[in-house]
Amino acid sequence: MTAAEASPPRPAAAVAVRPPRLPLSDYLRVGALLAISIAAAIGCAALLLSVTGSSPATVFGAMVSGSFGSRVALTATLNHTGPILLVALGALAATRSGLLNIGQEGQISIGALFGVAVGLAVDAPRGITLLLILATAAVAGAIWASLASLLRFTRGGSEVITTLLLNFVGFQVVSFAVNRPWLLQEDLPEGSVLSASPQSNPLPPAGHLPTLAQGPGFRLNSSITLAVGLALVLAFLLARTRWGFELRTVGLNPRAARRSGVSPALVGSGALAISGALAGLAGGVLLTGTAFRVNDGFSNNYGWEGLLAALVAGSVTLAVIPSSLLFGALRAGSGVLAATGVSPTIVGAVQALVVIAVTLPLLYLNRRRLRALLQRTGVSRT
Amino acid sequence: MSGGPASTTAARREVVLGLRSVSKRFGRVVACDDVSLDIGAGEIRGLLGQNGAGKSTLMKIVAGFVRPESGELTIHGKTLGFGDPVVAAERGIAMVHQHFSLVGPMPVWKNVTLSDRGHTRVDRSGVSRQITEVGRRYGLDVDPDAIVDDLSVGERQRVELLKCLRRQPDVLILDEPTSVLTREESTALFRVLRRLARERGQSVVLISHELDEMLEVTDRVTVLRDGRVVSTVESAEASADSLAHEMLGQDFAVSAEVLGLSVEGSHASRARTHAPPRRRAAPAGHDVPVLELADIKVTSAEGHALLDGVNLEIAAGEILGVAGVAGNGQEELTGLLSNLIGPDSGEVRVEGRPIRTGRGRQLGRAGVGVIPADRHDSGCVLEMTVAENLALGSLDGMVRWGVVRQQQLHELGRRLVADFRIITSSLGAPLRSLSGGNQQRVVLARELARKPCVLVAAEPTQGLDIGARGYIWDRLREAAATGTGILLISSDLAEIMALSHRVAVINRGRIIGTMPRADVDTAELGRMMGARTHDRG
Repeated sequence: MTAAEASPPRPAAAVAVRPPRLPLSDYLRVGALLAISIAAAIGCAALLLSVTGSSPATVFGAMVSGSFGSRVALTATLNHTGPILLVALGALAATRSGLLNIGQEGQISIGALFGVAVGLAVDAPRGITLLLILATAAVAGAIWASLASLLRFTRGGSEVITTLLLNFVGFQVVSFAVNRPWLLQEDLPEGSVLSASPQSNPLPPAGHLPTLAQGPGFRLNSSITLAVGLALVLAFLLARTRWGFELRTVGLNPRAARRSGVSPALVGSGALAISGALAGLAGGVLLTGTAFRVNDGFSNNYGWEGLLAALVAGSVTLAVIPSSLLFGALRAGSGVLAATGVSPTIVGAVQALVVIAVTLPLLYLNRRRLRALLQRTGVSRT
Repeated sequence: MSGGPASTTAARREVVLGLRSVSKRFGRVVACDDVSLDIGAGEIRGLLGQNGAGKSTLMKIVAGFVRPESGELTIHGKTLGFGDPVVAAERGIAMVHQHFSLVGPMPVWKNVTLSDRGHTRVDRSGVSRQITEVGRRYGLDVDPDAIVDDLSVGERQRVELLKCLRRQPDVLILDEPTSVLTREESTALFRVLRRLARERGQSVVLISHELDEMLEVTDRVTVLRDGRVVSTVESAEASADSLAHEMLGQDFAVSAEVLGLSVEGSHASRARTHAPPRRRAAPAGHDVPVLELADIKVTSAEGHALLDGVNLEIAAGEILGVAGVAGNGQEELTGLLSNLIGPDSGEVRVEGRPIRTGRGRQLGRAGVGVIPADRHDSGCVLEMTVAENLALGSLDGMVRWGVVRQQQLHELGRRLVADFRIITSSLGAPLRSLSGGNQQRVVLARELARKPCVLVAAEPTQGLDIGARGYIWDRLREAAATGTGILLISSDLAEIMALSHRVAVINRGRIIGTMPRADVDTAELGRMMGARTHDRG
């Protein structure tokens, strides 16, 4: 032992920086698994469709052409992918710090609600109005999520439960606001005989997201560029910064984090706030990109789909981009499908089968990490 | 070894439990080495020994939880097979483990019937009556309908005892029964045991390392050391001194030397382990202790004092060994200096400056390094990479604009991997992919690379083989030689004796004595470790 220490320091190049790559056979195995599971899913879906009296070929054709088949379809896919990706990024920030935020639906709604309130109230130039709306939506989402961290880090209440339940509170707040004429309910022209509907007034054009491409029947908004940009930023922050390093430490071993001077409560509540901010921003993007007004049921499952996209992506941060794209495409495809008269229940089932088929092989790869993550959710108190 | 069962009373008693030449090894560790024992009817027998002497393993063999390599076990003269706890229980062997096996949210009567076999229906009122009856007879009063979670530790132990006694066992084995009890609860337990022995002719085996209670309650004491029976003596004729001597061995220097010699191919370390390490004189002007604990008190959520006014001082370059039986506050002491818990009162001072512990970065920035007893608990992050683990807590120098500079991170990693000969596929491999010994080296490398002014080493060689152990000892000695003050918390006396300049004894959350290594009297040390000192006060 001491002999080695007496000798001059060794040239420090003995150990490689990167771990050896997985053998090619592992990738082939995952590829094969992917092919098999997609085939199985298509088989199951075909069976389900023919039993319920639809033609599988028509349905699959509609799904593909409805998501990638034309410029209109592609635009729909990308316009859905933007907010889903934003939600997924937020979910990822929380899970990396060992917390499971499942309150995105509520955070989207609250973000959009405050966003539309600001957008209708201010009268400013285009860029400023839009920025104000998006910033307000993000802050509102962050505050909504922070209610859960308050409960968790002062009272020890599981954030899984509180974020979930805050969804329903959020829905009620939105519903309350758009049903009150003195709050956000739509104004009707003087002398109108129609009764007002439970939705807000539309945003002025100054509060609309910029358009990337436009044509007959489609308008591609810039949510996808914003979301992809933020994905790159978040991936860098998590992998390379002190903040990301400490956040991952807290998520994987809170005691080791405390030992190295990092406060799990501080880092965790920060991550939950960011998570809520990104979901709120997704609400703002939906508002300013496609919906332009807020109504009951505004979040419309974007929150759940984003959360799923994050879980599918697992441990590789940038994998949220393709997984969100998958969810965006499914959303666009099933929109078209529903228009062909197939029951929405069946559409949902087909959609779920495709997700399972794509996810299973990835889960196989990520199984260990996911297990570690689930063990932490809600159980480990700090 | 010396001594033997040369007792006359034993001859008069019928032998209930007999062990012949039982041996058991775990890998390279010999837990029981050719052990023979005879326990008579109505006898209370103590099994005394240090941690790892083989007491618990031996009794787990008897109760069928562990299967030995060789040997024979008899009950009332009839051979009993090894390795089947159900058969052992049927043949009258009952064991109360150190850690209770009760279901907290269930009532007492359900717990008592849990391990019953062959019943389709439990007769609740019958069981309750039985519990009350057995309880009254032996002074083990417990309400059969009470929920176990609501019971005190002493009451839970009574439930465990009732579980055993209900089956009228021939041999009752208790593994460290008093380690969780208060003095009063212990006394009550002993009263029950004596009554059982007298009235039922119950044979009891009591595992403990507390000398006083051994003398107080047992008829005879068998001392185990390194898996062997050292001696069996009549309690009435024994003294705490003689027992401590037999428990700890004749000469610590010898045992340390044996360990040192086993370190492969290093003359230097061999030479050094012979003598207690010399302490480098602190440079002039540095007579402020590097670490001071002033009247530290830590209380558990239930209100027990875990650290009860601890005072400690460590000078630069000094190794202070904290000896004690596990569970006497060592964990809290490490936790305090690992930033995991803050004291309820008292002050931690590093190089004379008061430091806040329990939160924030003060402790680490002041230069306090820790090698925790359980590295997986707070020492490392298994899913993070080797390089990241080596930088954990020392990012301060390698961050610019909040970004961790990869080049510096990898440079540190390469240097430490080479210096500490950590075997890993790469710096980017998850720590989980390393062997246990190499994970421990990662922790050691990180803590030492920071050149801490204080290093807390809690059980630094626990579970490591002799080669790795010698390596870590050498590293700790080197660190001390360069001026680091080391707080060595260990339940291994050989380690304490081999490394320390001074030895402190911790007992029930208090430092009950500190002495220079040269003045350590082994018997006195053993007595202090086993004593119930602060019950006097």
